[in-house]
Amino acid sequence: MSNATAATAQDTNAWGGGRSPYNVSYGKMMMWFFLLSDALTFGALLISYGTTRFFSAVWPDANQVFKSFPFMGEHDLPLLFVSLMTFILIMSSVTMVLAVHAGHYGDKKSVAQWLLWTIIGGICFLGCQAWEWTHLAGECGGLWGTFTDVNTPVHEFQHFFNMKAPEVQNIFNPTTGHPLVAMQSTHNFFNYFFTITGFHGGHVTSGVIFNILMLVNTVNGTYERRGHYEMVEKIGLYWHFVDLVWVFVFTCFYLL
Amino acid sequence: MSSHSNDSVQALYEGDQSKLYSGVMAHHSDVNSTESKSQVKKIWKIFWILLLITLVEVAMGMFMSHSLPRGLVNFFFLVLTVIKAGFIVANFMHLGDELKNFMVTVLVPLVLFVWFIIAFLADGGFWLHMNNSSESRVQITQQAEK
Repeated sequence: MSNATAATAQDTNAWGGGRSPYNVSYGKMMMWFFLLSDALTFGALLISYGTTRFFSAVWPDANQVFKSFPFMGEHDLPLLFVSLMTFILIMSSVTMVLAVHAGHYGDKKSVAQWLLWTIIGGICFLGCQAWEWTHLAGECGGLWGTFTDVNTPVHEFQHFFNMKAPEVQNIFNPTTGHPLVAMQSTHNFFNYFFTITGFHGGHVTSGVIFNILMLVNTVNGTYERRGHYEMVEKIGLYWHFVDLVWVFVFTCFYLL
Repeated sequence: MSSHSNDSVQALYEGDQSKLYSGVMAHHSDVNSTESKSQVKKIWKIFWILLLITLVEVAMGMFMSHSLPRGLVNFFFLVLTVIKAGFIVANFMHLGDELKNFMVTVLVPLVLFVWFIIAFLADGGFWLHMNNSSESRVQITQQAEK
C-alpha cells in the first residue's frame, strides 16, 4: 500500500487529479466540510443569541437560572449540574478517541468496548439534558414561547436575575422600573436556550444512533473484512465536533 | 488516467480509496507497542487538561463572576474556551496530524466568525443605545416618574 502511494506521488502532480492532494479519503474530507457547515449553523445560532443579549438592558443570570441539582431540592448549587454534564461529554470524547485509536491497530474487541462506553456516555448526557429541560420547563410553564403575557406577576421571572446588580434593580423598581423589559429578556433567554441546547441534543442523539450502528458493524466484523476502521474515525470526528459545540454552548449560556 | 501505470492502484482508488490514504489511518499491527501506549497516554493527558480547564472555568463562574470586573472574567472564559477547542480539534480530531494544506482549508473559513461576532454584537449594542436614548423612551420615562 505504501509503495502504491509513493508511486502515484512520484508520477502525478499533487493537484493534477487521480489522487487527493490532502492525502485524505473522500469520505473523511466530506465529513470535515460537513462539520465546517455545521459550525457555521451553530455559530449563527450563538451569534444571534449574543446579539439579542447585547440589545437587552438586563439578562437572566446563569448562577440564578442553573442552580438546581437532581434530588437536592432547592439547594443553591450553581453550575454544578452542568459541570457534571460537561464532564460526561468530555469523558465520552475520550472513549471515542480511544475507539479510533484501537481502530488504527485493527483491535476489534477494544473498538467495540470503547464504542459501548461512548454510547453509554452519550445516553447519560441526554438523560441529564432531559432532566434539566423538564426542570426548567416546570419553572417557565413550558418550553418555547413562555413569558409573553404582560400580566405575568413579576415574582415569576424575577428570581432568574441577579438582584444585586444596579441595572437589574432599576428595571425591577416598582415605581420607575420596566419589569416587562426583564420579562422580554427572560422570554428571549429561554427561547434561545431550548433552541440551541435542543439542536445540540439532536446532534448527540444522532451521534448515539451512529455509534450504535457502528457497534453492530464492528461486532459483526464488517470493518474487519473491509480492512480498516475508517468509519469509526469519521463518526469520531462528528462526535468530537458535538463535544466541541458543547464547549461553546457551555461558555455562552452558563459562564458568560 | 495516463499518469497511472499501476492498474491495481487505480482499482484500489476507485473501489475503496480509504485504503490508499494512510494519513492518520496508517495501519499498525501491535496495539501493545510502545508507540500505541504513548498515544493512549497522550489521549489521557489531554483529558486531564480539558478537565482542569473546565474546573477552573466553573470555579471562576461560581466564586469570581460577581467580584472581579465582568469584562476581565469574560475575557478569561473566552480564552479558556478557545484553548479547550484547540486541544479537541488538534488532538481528538487529529487535525494537527493532517497535511498543513488541509488544516488551512478547514480553518480559514472560520475566520468569517471574527467579522460576524464584531458586526452583530456591535449592532446589538447600538440598538440598545438607540433604544435607551430615543426621544420617545425618555419622554415615557419622564411621564412615568411624574
